[in-house]
Amino acid sequence: MTALLVAVALSGFAGAVGGLLARARARVVVVAFFTIAASLAALTVALDVLRTGKVATLTTTQVLPFTGVQLRLDALGALFVAVTAVVATAVSIYSVGYSRHHPMSRSSACAFATFVTSMLLVPAAWSVTTFLFAWELMAVASLALVLTDYRRSADVRSAAIWYAVLTQIGATTIAFGLVVLAVKTGGQGFTTMALHSASMAPWLRGAVFLLALTGFASKAGVVPLHVWLPKAHAEAPSAVSALMSAAMVNLGIYGILRVGDTLLGGGPSWWWITVIMLGVGSAIYGSIHAATSTDLKRLLAYSTADNIGLVMIAIGTAGLLSSTGHQSFAALALFAGMFHLVNHAVFKGTLFLAAGSVQYATGTRDLDQLGGLFTRMPIASTIFAFGTVAITALPPLCGFVSEWLLLQSLLHGLSSSVSVSVVLMPLCVAALALTGGLTAAAFVKAFGVGFLGIARSPAAEGASEPPRLMNVGAGVLASLCVVLGVAPIAMVGLLNSVVRTIQTSGGSIVSSHGEALAISDAKGVFDPTLIALALVTSLLCVAGVRRVLSRRHAIRRAPAWGCGRELQTARMTYTATSFAEPLQRVFDDVLQPSQDLDVSHRGESRYFVESVRFGTRGGDAFERLLYQPVFSTVRRLANKARLLQNGSVHRYLAYGLGALVVILVFAR
Amino acid sequence: MTNHSVAAALLALTSGTVLLCAALALWRRAARGIVSALRVQGYALAATAAVLGVQLHEPLLLVTSGLLVAVKGVAIPMLFGRLVRLDPASSETDPVVNVPASLVAAVVLTLVAFVATRPIVESVRGVPITLVPFGFATVLIGFFVLVARRKAVSQMVGLLLVDNGIGLVALLLTTGVPLLIELGGTLDVLLVVVVLRVLVTRMHAQLGVLDLDSLQELRD
Repeated sequence: MTALLVAVALSGFAGAVGGLLARARARVVVVAFFTIAASLAALTVALDVLRTGKVATLTTTQVLPFTGVQLRLDALGALFVAVTAVVATAVSIYSVGYSRHHPMSRSSACAFATFVTSMLLVPAAWSVTTFLFAWELMAVASLALVLTDYRRSADVRSAAIWYAVLTQIGATTIAFGLVVLAVKTGGQGFTTMALHSASMAPWLRGAVFLLALTGFASKAGVVPLHVWLPKAHAEAPSAVSALMSAAMVNLGIYGILRVGDTLLGGGPSWWWITVIMLGVGSAIYGSIHAATSTDLKRLLAYSTADNIGLVMIAIGTAGLLSSTGHQSFAALALFAGMFHLVNHAVFKGTLFLAAGSVQYATGTRDLDQLGGLFTRMPIASTIFAFGTVAITALPPLCGFVSEWLLLQSLLHGLSSSVSVSVVLMPLCVAALALTGGLTAAAFVKAFGVGFLGIARSPAAEGASEPPRLMNVGAGVLASLCVVLGVAPIAMVGLLNSVVRTIQTSGGSIVSSHGEALAISDAKGVFDPTLIALALVTSLLCVAGVRRVLSRRHAIRRAPAWGCGRELQTARMTYTATSFAEPLQRVFDDVLQPSQDLDVSHRGESRYFVESVRFGTRGGDAFERLLYQPVFSTVRRLANKARLLQNGSVHRYLAYGLGALVVILVFAR
Repeated sequence: MTNHSVAAALLALTSGTVLLCAALALWRRAARGIVSALRVQGYALAATAAVLGVQLHEPLLLVTSGLLVAVKGVAIPMLFGRLVRLDPASSETDPVVNVPASLVAAVVLTLVAFVATRPIVESVRGVPITLVPFGFATVLIGFFVLVARRKAVSQMVGLLLVDNGIGLVALLLTTGVPLLIELGGTLDVLLVVVVLRVLVTRMHAQLGVLDLDSLQELRD
């Protein structure tokens, strides 16, 4: 297994170097080859670790000076490595197709391989320096990838700056927290830190956890540190958005679990209540924005904040229940959270790649400009449809299973008779319900307006199927949505070994019962396979009945959403803006959209309107209310500082003289 | 009057001259006058070294004295000559701090120097040591020239005043710095003046003035 870990690092390095050296045409193939090689090697190690429970280790002093590199992959890390490896493989295939018309530049080829490799190594890092090295490498490489299209518009550059600032603030707080922990425990290896952290003062442990939580939450895109997410995900190339949203964001969750549970060994309930509150806020805020966004990729990005919020709720609940002594329910919550994280990676990867295909075919990601894509690009649209069904948690795809398990764990938490959870759990259940509804609205809008109906612009009119490899890459993930939804028992063993690394006494809360899932301490089983079978059967029945009935009556075909009208133009159909308008009205206080209505009149008369223009722009309330004041304060202070530093040599010399006199007088 | 007290009086005279020249440099406006104050200060510094050498029977100090005459009395003022000729009308018409206020500041700085050096003066007995405040005051006034004057020539003179002050303190405290170190220091200063002269000449060629305020723009 150690050899395979070396193979991951080496083939990642080879991919980065190959991306730099290869000629333009071969570049993407070289990078994809080595990235897939690294991913498959990592997947092999990770699956082995998850199955056997043995850890894979690698320690060398050859790479980093002074401290060396320490890798140790346990089951928790292995899950994240496996997810990253699967997503990276699909994205690499997709990228080969994508680069047929958008050749990959030298720097992005190098950054792509580096990004994937560093994401594969972060969960395996077992010392502070190794971890921070891989973490920073990941941040820098992803930043370079966000900047891929920097020439296209200033938005790209602004998104990259937002991302860089927030991710660096996060990295700083993580580094600070880990360094404090390392100093107090007397070693920078994770094993030493885990052994000695219990003897630290409680307030110091809390401080370390909060520092790490801040940093990892900013990477995970948790509200209010999510501001970079919709910007960077929307402006980066879709393959990169898919990697960031389906793999990188997860590592924030990994960090919270690693520091909170492994290194600090769990903590008091207020830690986990904080995590739950962040999760609730993130889930609701993200889903409201997703429901009202009209930019397809922004919508997906906000939905990432929403899903990560759900995972945060799950791990927070697990921590809370575990700190109040309900180990088995804690294990269930953790199981549900990890399962949802895997599912989110799969369906969000699918959706981002399919959205990339749409952007590739039409050149726009504005839902108001799309429409009618289903008949023009059926395969890519079907893939998007699979992602849509999965993310709205409809059976028989994967989102349903994990959200159902999450709901179960929250309801079980209710019965735990601890006052905190009695108050919190209904809140979480409500958040889950609201989020589910809003997500459904968001994706009905995305699919109904974007893919069905009439094309609303010449760009959508002229769309055609993207290159085959793009569909293959996205299809790999889409088929995983089906597999995980229909046969979740495949994941039970793997997820149980993850849960056991954290909830050692929880045991295997979820077990396979035939093809169904059985939860110990609860009656009955949960059988997604049967549900899927029932759904398919009933669909076949409906189709059969329709066929029988249609023999007797003539079929009349009319355009969709036509309300029976004869003539229907694109201007008469629902747009994404109009679809989301009621929701925007309901959540006006949260969204605070800026609207402008521009009416021009014909001639002198006020009664004859020539044209009306209505525009609405949804900003981010946090950006305006939390970040802008900070910026303006910093700018004001910086302007004050200009009084000190105004370029006059005499003033600088006077500082020197003043300092000299002061020293002479006071430091005799 | 013994030899000793004569030497003490002479030392006081030469060190006082060094300080006085610093004040003169602050008082005069014309570049030519400022440079001549510097020249006199160089000679006074050399005389201090010579008196110390005779008093202590140190022939090497006499060599130092000769070096100081050559560099600070002759060579450096000569190097200034060309700069002064570049812009003969150049004078401190509008200093950052006006002349009367500058002189008051010089008085205050001298007091500061006396206050600051009291521990040194009181800890060791001996005539040369009691004169150390003169050197400190020269350093502070030189620094003040840097702050309060605008012209490039005044700036360079200010720098050299600081150097002369440090040289005086070193001479009085150690009763003779080793010749090698003195040689190194003095040649360093000579080199600095040569480089600064080149820079100032270029500045004049580019901007047509010798005013430091024209260099105020900050680069982004």
